Amino acid sequence: MSFSTAVDLEDVWKRFGSVEAVRGVSLHVPAGCIYGLLGPNGAGKTTIIRMIMSIFFADKGRVAVLDGQQALAVKDRLGYLPEEKGLYKKMKVGELMTYFARLKGVESRQARKLATEVLERYGLGEWWDRRCEALSKGMGQKVQLLVTLIHEPDLVILDEPFSGLDPVNRDLMRDLILQMRRDGKTVIFSTHIMEQAEQVCDYVALINRGEKVIDGALSEVRSSGGRAAILDYDGDGARLQDLPGVVRVNDSGKQAELFLQEDADSQQIIAALLQRVQIRRFDLSEPSLHEIFIRVVGGTEDE
Amino acid sequence: MNKIALVAWREYMENVRTKGFWIGILSLPLIFALSATVPFLLTKAKDARTYAVLDHSGFVLAEVEKKILAEDLRVILETAAERYRDGGKAWERLPTPIRDTGMVYVSLDQGQRQALVLALALIEADPSLGDEIVARVPELAAGLAAWWQRVSVEELDELDLELSRGRYIRVSVAENNQAVLNQMVNSGELFAYFLIGPDPVESDEGCKYVSSNLTDRDLRHWYEQRVSQVVHAKRIERQGIDPGVADWLQASVRFATRKVDKRGSEEEISSVDTAKQWAPIAFVYLLWMAVFVNSQALLTNTIEEKSTRVIEVLLSSVSPFELMAGKIVGMAASGLTVVGTWAICIGVALVVVPEFLGASDNSLGGIVLDPLYLFSFVFYFLSGYLLYASFLVGIGSVCNSLKEAQNLMLPIMFPLMVPLLSMPLISQDPNGTLARIFSFIPPFPPFVMMNRAAGPPPLWEYLATTALMILTIYLTVKGAGKVFRIGILMTGKPPRMREIVRWMTLEEGHNPAEGDAG
Repeated sequence: MSFSTAVDLEDVWKRFGSVEAVRGVSLHVPAGCIYGLLGPNGAGKTTIIRMIMSIFFADKGRVAVLDGQQALAVKDRLGYLPEEKGLYKKMKVGELMTYFARLKGVESRQARKLATEVLERYGLGEWWDRRCEALSKGMGQKVQLLVTLIHEPDLVILDEPFSGLDPVNRDLMRDLILQMRRDGKTVIFSTHIMEQAEQVCDYVALINRGEKVIDGALSEVRSSGGRAAILDYDGDGARLQDLPGVVRVNDSGKQAELFLQEDADSQQIIAALLQRVQIRRFDLSEPSLHEIFIRVVGGTEDE
Repeated sequence: MNKIALVAWREYMENVRTKGFWIGILSLPLIFALSATVPFLLTKAKDARTYAVLDHSGFVLAEVEKKILAEDLRVILETAAERYRDGGKAWERLPTPIRDTGMVYVSLDQGQRQALVLALALIEADPSLGDEIVARVPELAAGLAAWWQRVSVEELDELDLELSRGRYIRVSVAENNQAVLNQMVNSGELFAYFLIGPDPVESDEGCKYVSSNLTDRDLRHWYEQRVSQVVHAKRIERQGIDPGVADWLQASVRFATRKVDKRGSEEEISSVDTAKQWAPIAFVYLLWMAVFVNSQALLTNTIEEKSTRVIEVLLSSVSPFELMAGKIVGMAASGLTVVGTWAICIGVALVVVPEFLGASDNSLGGIVLDPLYLFSFVFYFLSGYLLYASFLVGIGSVCNSLKEAQNLMLPIMFPLMVPLLSMPLISQDPNGTLARIFSFIPPFPPFVMMNRAAGPPPLWEYLATTALMILTIYLTVKGAGKVFRIGILMTGKPPRMREIVRWMTLEEGHNPAEGDAG
């Protein structure tokens, strides 16, 4: 790997008319990781991503990619999948893939070769000569994703990559993200669904109302929220209140997240639970990102 | 390949594959072909008009009939002579009486031919024909008359003869009863009927044309003309005026048109000169169409790209300016392909066709291939297109649908009408004040300068307007680049014109758009 810092943002500000979209955000994305940019809709994630890609320019602050460079200078080494994505309907799939590869500086013959390989590998080989408008929605999404990756970028930025995907493509997307890390590439993706980030991210940053709320390695961020336990149960949820050593309960009916005091004794809690509900599972863990997020922003998540 | 070229190449290839492109290429030759053939076909398709004549003068009808017969005979015999010369099927297909008379006709000189026609139509027998032919006239005339009586309109069509007999058919009416004729007009049996007054030589009192169709005046004009000729002859005769004197009295004065050449001497006007005066008009029309169609296509295509959301993917690979420039260049290339094809078509048509037809005068082809015209055309297409393309690509970038674009386009498309409206004035006076002023008001120069090519304008004006155009294009492309960069990622309602103008004055890097901050 030829760089150690994939993205570096330092006190970046961006205003649109009267709206402060991004307010003093600093981010540090190390090379070779999967980095999640989390936050509710309208938090400023897309604006941050567009600034990283040099599609927008920051009003104030410093934006650098691949060890201090401008995205404009290294566009060909970046792959970008915007949230709003589309294909040229009238173009043939093969031509489209080749075209986008060439726009990324891949030489003509090599671009054709890559396009053929990628389409073959992902089961779209016979689509080379057919127009994009004939693709089903799911296949269209697949082609869009492959377009992002065809030139084998060092840094891939995906804006809400999972939104609108069918389950098959969602798995494909996850596998591709993991595969890219194995290949030593850096992946940054944004999402407003915390569970997706929890599954794959090495690092996360939580963004709310244009500001960074918390960031760091996933485990650090989670442990910063103290200790917690996941409880699967049958019975009356009301009876989960006032357990010894439990600060607060986040009850979903069949499952509840219990937040524990620093010195709480889990054995004691289980004993108390046994008398109140039917326990199916009790799992000591860190709080979920969702819980951390709620806690940090004071329950203002507007999903 | 550089990125602008890549974008341009894709744009070009995609455009070339659309139906619109081929319609554009074919439209011009098609329009030419249609305008040449349709009026002709329409006349052919028109039903033959039936009419009747009530003659109270006692002589007009018979005289006019002879006149019509003489005219038709002339056409028939001229055609026969032509086909005799060419030989083959067309000659053999003619009926025997025509071939018999035709053989005689071809043996005569120009003056005698006219005499033969008059003799056959029983107008007057001219002794200059020679005894032998005069002796044959009754026999030939009888043969023709017999055929004339029996031949149907369809048969005439088949023989491919353009006769008035085929267009206007007189119905003989026995009774002298207008009420019956009115009835026939009403029922559509008659198209119209003529009433000829008791003494048309004295005055046209009592002469009437009655029809229920008031828009088609061909029949009236046609018949009126012939009656007038007959009556004129009678008037001249009644006054005892020598027909030669009468012709002289009626002859009008005509001015021969000449032009002054560069050395100051008088020169005859050739067809090249006339064509040179008119050619710019054709070029301006073509230019206008090409500029309009291509810049419009660019607008549509930008909006489409925006609405299909391909834009942002593209912007991660190319800068907004590269994208815009690529699109403009790609569309220019396809526009040039169309315009070039037209130029070649016209050139071929004007050079090859006259030669094929055996015409010696090859002036029109020469004009199209005149480097001044050809170079101006291509150059002014490019400059007019670039100017409008940059306007429209800017508008396209801020709009999400064609409907939104229409409102913004009005103030920009309106000036495009001015060069078309001022074209007749500028053609008449290519170096006049109006022409000179308009040459310096963007966006008119490309059209107005093309329009003035017949002048031609002095060299310094060419240079000055070209410099002006290049400066204007530079500014509009730059402005459009700024608008494009901001507008292309905008969603929602398009901004007002004032807001767009404000963007053009902004420094690079600012983004005032209230886009989504997701």
